[in-house]
Amino acid sequence: MRDFKLALKGSVGPEDNDSRNLLDPHRRGVPGRATMRTYRDRDAVDLVIVGCGAGGATLAQRLARRGWRIVVIEAGPFWDPDSDWVSDEAGSHPLFWTQNRIVGGEDPVEMGKNNSGRGVGGSMVHYAGYAPRFHPSDFETLTRDGVGADWPISYEELKPHYEQVERELPVAGQSWPWGDPHGYPHGPHPVSGGAERAWSGARRAGVEMRVGPVAITNGAFGNRPHCIYRGFCLQGCKVGAKASPLVTHVPDALAHGAEIRADSMATRVEIDGAGRCTGVAYLQDGSERFQRAEAVAVAGYSIESPRLLLNSHSSRFPNGLANGEDQVGRYLMVQGAPQVAGRFPETLRMYKAPPPEVSSEQFYETDEARGFSRGFSIQTLGPLPIGWAEHVVADGHWGYALREYMRDYNHWSTLGVLNELLARPDNRVTLADERDQSGLPIARIDYTQCENDRLNIAWAKRKLEEIWEAAGAEELLTIERYAHLVGGCRMGDSPESSVVDSDHRAWAVTNLFVADGSTMPTQGSANPALTVMALASRLAERLARKRVGATPV
Amino acid sequence: MAKAGPPSGLCRQRRGTAPQMRGRYPDHDVLAQADHWDEATRRIVLARLRIDAPPLRVFDADEGATLEAFCDTVMAQDSDPRVPVLGMIDEKLHEGRLEGYRYADMPADADAWKLVARGLDEAALEHGCASFAAAPHDVRSQVCGAFSAGELRGGVWDELPIGRAWTVAMRDVVAAFYSHPWSWNEIGFGGPAYPRGHARLGVGLRDAGEADEEFSVDPAIDVPVRGLE
Ligand SMILES: Cc1cc2nc3c(=O)[nH]c(=O)nc-3n(C[C@H](O)[C@H](O)[C@H](O)COP(=O)(O)OP(=O)(O)OC[C@H]3O[C@@H](n4cnc5c(N)ncnc54)[C@H](O)[C@@H]3O)c2cc1C
Ligand code: SF4
Repeated sequence: MRDFKLALKGSVGPEDNDSRNLLDPHRRGVPGRATMRTYRDRDAVDLVIVGCGAGGATLAQRLARRGWRIVVIEAGPFWDPDSDWVSDEAGSHPLFWTQNRIVGGEDPVEMGKNNSGRGVGGSMVHYAGYAPRFHPSDFETLTRDGVGADWPISYEELKPHYEQVERELPVAGQSWPWGDPHGYPHGPHPVSGGAERAWSGARRAGVEMRVGPVAITNGAFGNRPHCIYRGFCLQGCKVGAKASPLVTHVPDALAHGAEIRADSMATRVEIDGAGRCTGVAYLQDGSERFQRAEAVAVAGYSIESPRLLLNSHSSRFPNGLANGEDQVGRYLMVQGAPQVAGRFPETLRMYKAPPPEVSSEQFYETDEARGFSRGFSIQTLGPLPIGWAEHVVADGHWGYALREYMRDYNHWSTLGVLNELLARPDNRVTLADERDQSGLPIARIDYTQCENDRLNIAWAKRKLEEIWEAAGAEELLTIERYAHLVGGCRMGDSPESSVVDSDHRAWAVTNLFVADGSTMPTQGSANPALTVMALASRLAERLARKRVGATPV
Repeated sequence: MAKAGPPSGLCRQRRGTAPQMRGRYPDHDVLAQADHWDEATRRIVLARLRIDAPPLRVFDADEGATLEAFCDTVMAQDSDPRVPVLGMIDEKLHEGRLEGYRYADMPADADAWKLVARGLDEAALEHGCASFAAAPHDVRSQVCGAFSAGELRGGVWDELPIGRAWTVAMRDVVAAFYSHPWSWNEIGFGGPAYPRGHARLGVGLRDAGEADEEFSVDPAIDVPVRGLE
């Protein structure tokens, strides 16, 4: 009986999303692209979405299925993984948003490969693949812990969407004891030597870990292939085993008449005299075009969404669209992501297997004994040689020492944490004086940690060191870094303290929505992509039921 | 202080090429697997083998000589065959491939590199050498050590934030060096793994196309014992 249930486990797919069956079993390009419906610029479509990433693609798929006429404007290419992606670290550079951004503040956040993506699928094309939910506490940290903010929505409202998206990706892992305990549609993947070591150390140090949750197929799932454990998840999964909107939502969106207009960079959201959006101006092949629409949803990631709104200034909104209260770009958040690697006498070859394997949320919630609010999660990682070299350099090595540490690559295994750093109003996106090739002001990102952030990071690093020591590691090596930007157009209860309401609608513009990670008021210490998708899924449901009354939408 | 260099006993590469023909996996030749890679990956990896001391386009001859010496020193490339690190960086800058960010207090990457070249020459001059490139190995090492520790002062170093300059320079250097398949032979990295994946994931196991390590030393013990830093 047990075996029968297991066999069934991988084969039950989600309803209301046929993407897995619409993929070609032999080629990785999205088959529907050749027959994609197209709209003319002057057709006032029901909704134009800026950005085809986690939020934008999910919203497009949901509403296209409900019969909405949708155009998605995407700055980057419509990827064909067979010909465009490579199984190589440096060669994956084109996946990242590499146009210039200025980073400042006391603790500047590096952008580029460690941050956002560009192209159909968005940043999930090169994300690691961890797909945890937020905890119920994340939605009310102000009430519970006196820090951060309360969301205008609760975990319970998002829960059905978490469950649906977990079936669509699908997520594989052991049943999850933390937050709101739940199971996963696919069973846990096998773990590599390095992750085994980390796990055994954790057990001895009294830290509970679980395999997963990762958005990588583990069993039959339509035409999505099985993972081949080649370890290049952060370079784009050429196999198609790791979930990204390109394989999970775009095929179904196209089958329901959405158009995804790639290589098109949105430059402005336009409004009419009544202060309503009329559509989106964009650049394609160097010429300016304008797509008319009844409503606009911005989903360009936590940097580009605020940038687009700030660049869309007008006499009515001289400081940027929906920025009458100076909220756009504020409360930008990034997770602390220090990594500690441990050395073992045996070869572990951490480049094999997906980097996301085993994780823990034991330290997610506030524990006053630790001396700071909120917490962190722990996850395995598998840096490839260039990433590992950055690790070694960060530890202070160069020359013969650097080469020797690098020759030792196969003896190391890496653990990282994600610290919940707190939202602060002055951590924000603004416009720099500099402009890009097309003359558009580029984004400037200022970031400074607060005392709680520093305490959290320091405590978490010590915990990783304890785990490695308990695992019998001979040496340790540490790097400080950041991961996962969210916030910048947060949702809230009032226009004075947020950009959008609980329905993702801009307070000041009734047919403008923000549908990506920038709407998050807090970030927890979970990786954000699943929550970005769940939020977009909820928004779609509310728009489709006309619960938000964005007439004439 | 013992002489700087690789540990004694490090293997001579027997198959394929490793930088300086030294490494821990003497029979590991990643390029012998190239037939098993997908076409897009093969093209991009093999193209790196063609960058061989190209004419520099971003840096002039003096900057080139200084930065060549810098790249050799920080990557400890003390003999041929060398991964053409500076050529790869020059190509990247020339093609305008950006990294996606610039620190507010830093100039654009190419300008930062040029300032680094000037700053290295100034530092060498203080040691009585005509230029960084003309300096003997121990002076170059001292200057790089001071650069890495943020301890160079005066001239360029009063206008360029030294810690960031080191980070930006080393980011480009290691990205070039460790994207080159020769370096993968040295460290035993399996290289591209598509369409053939990995099956044997456990401790001490290896897949087809991976070779055994034949020499090993714990760097955290060996580096301080031999006084490499
Ligand atoms: C290295 C790395 C590892 C990560 N690992 C994980 C992980 O393991 N788990 C996890 O949950 N998350 C992870 N993330 C984060 C996750 O990928 C993002 O949080 C998520 O994809 C954000 O969704 P989004 O909809 O806000 O934006 P995106 O997915 O980035 O989508 C935005 C899209 O909008 C497009 N766009 C932007 N501006 C414009 C414009 N003006 N005109 C047209 N198009 C535009 C962009 O090209 C992009 O395609 C990782 C990210 C990185 C970089
Ligand atoms: S390890 Fe699996 S999920 Fe990751 S890139 Fe390879 S096949 Fe895809």
